Amino acid sequence: MNRKILGFLPFLIFVLLCVFLYQGLFGNPRELQTGRLGQTMPSFNLPDLMDENKRWTEKELLGEVYLMNVWGTWCPTCIAELGYLTKLREQGVKIVGLYYEQAYDPDFGDHFDINALREEVDTMLSRAGNPYQFNILDLERSLALDLGVSGAPETFLVDKEGTILLHHTGDINQRVWRNKFLPALEELQP
Amino acid sequence: MKTRHVMLLVMILLLSATVANAAEDKYEFKNAERAQTFKELTLELRCPKCQNQNIADSDAVVAKDLRDKVVALVQEGNSKQEVIDYMIDRYGYFVHYQPPVTPATIILWVLPVVIVVLGFGFIVFRQKKASKKQQWSAADDERLEQLIAQYQRKERQQ
Repeated sequence: MNRKILGFLPFLIFVLLCVFLYQGLFGNPRELQTGRLGQTMPSFNLPDLMDENKRWTEKELLGEVYLMNVWGTWCPTCIAELGYLTKLREQGVKIVGLYYEQAYDPDFGDHFDINALREEVDTMLSRAGNPYQFNILDLERSLALDLGVSGAPETFLVDKEGTILLHHTGDINQRVWRNKFLPALEELQP
Repeated sequence: MKTRHVMLLVMILLLSATVANAAEDKYEFKNAERAQTFKELTLELRCPKCQNQNIADSDAVVAKDLRDKVVALVQEGNSKQEVIDYMIDRYGYFVHYQPPVTPATIILWVLPVVIVVLGFGFIVFRQKKASKKQQWSAADDERLEQLIAQYQRKERQQ
């Protein structure tokens, strides 16, 4: 009897290994990213996308719960989520855009024109919906790096004290909003 | 024999040349030590956007940003560990190829050792068992003699 069990042991180990590896196929390794979670918004001083004379700092954002949405007109998924984000804005969610620019970098674009970009953004937002209170222009992607942003779209949920509660990679849709953002928001307002 | 050695040497040189040229061409450093630190870091830091590429290897925007940041930090005189901590602070442990030792990850170090120890234990156990079976006593000798005698008698009777 004992020997029979021992004989099955390699098979059992094999099955367990299969289950473990199969699971790994569907895991998202990026979810392990903790980065800035639970920390306060890193300090920044960046211009408004539409008006270079207006500058934004992390202090101006204190006092209200908001979403910071990293996006760019070059990113199709970002455009796709504009509609849903606009609905959220209509429900009273404050959304701040962090504009993630690539063409400014000589490695990724050959010319950059701020006026052309503003026009493009305007057209895009009037067509797909404008969820943003305002947009912060991060030409050098320095705030993006400090936030641990790896691409677009990404969204942060920040509370009144400036603490980063969530870091979501990918688009926001009804399912993500309901499963991830709403529970976090409900915890904030008991 | 000699040509084989030369061939091997050429192959090793070619391999190391491709690795060395991968990333640091574009950047200049004050001294060789910093250039070396930068090279090591770009090979050890993982591109957060890609599934499995280091930041030296990847063309993603974020990989370039990380390379630039590593250059800036190294040029400021930060040590290798300081740069790694800076990146982990922002991108989490995902960004470094060496996972931290925590209660959840300790299995990565312990399990291989356990498997090797168990394997050797099993081999030793089996050998002991096998050698026990082969013990041959005077009683066994006697029994063998008896059996041989029995069969010889049978054959003679036929």
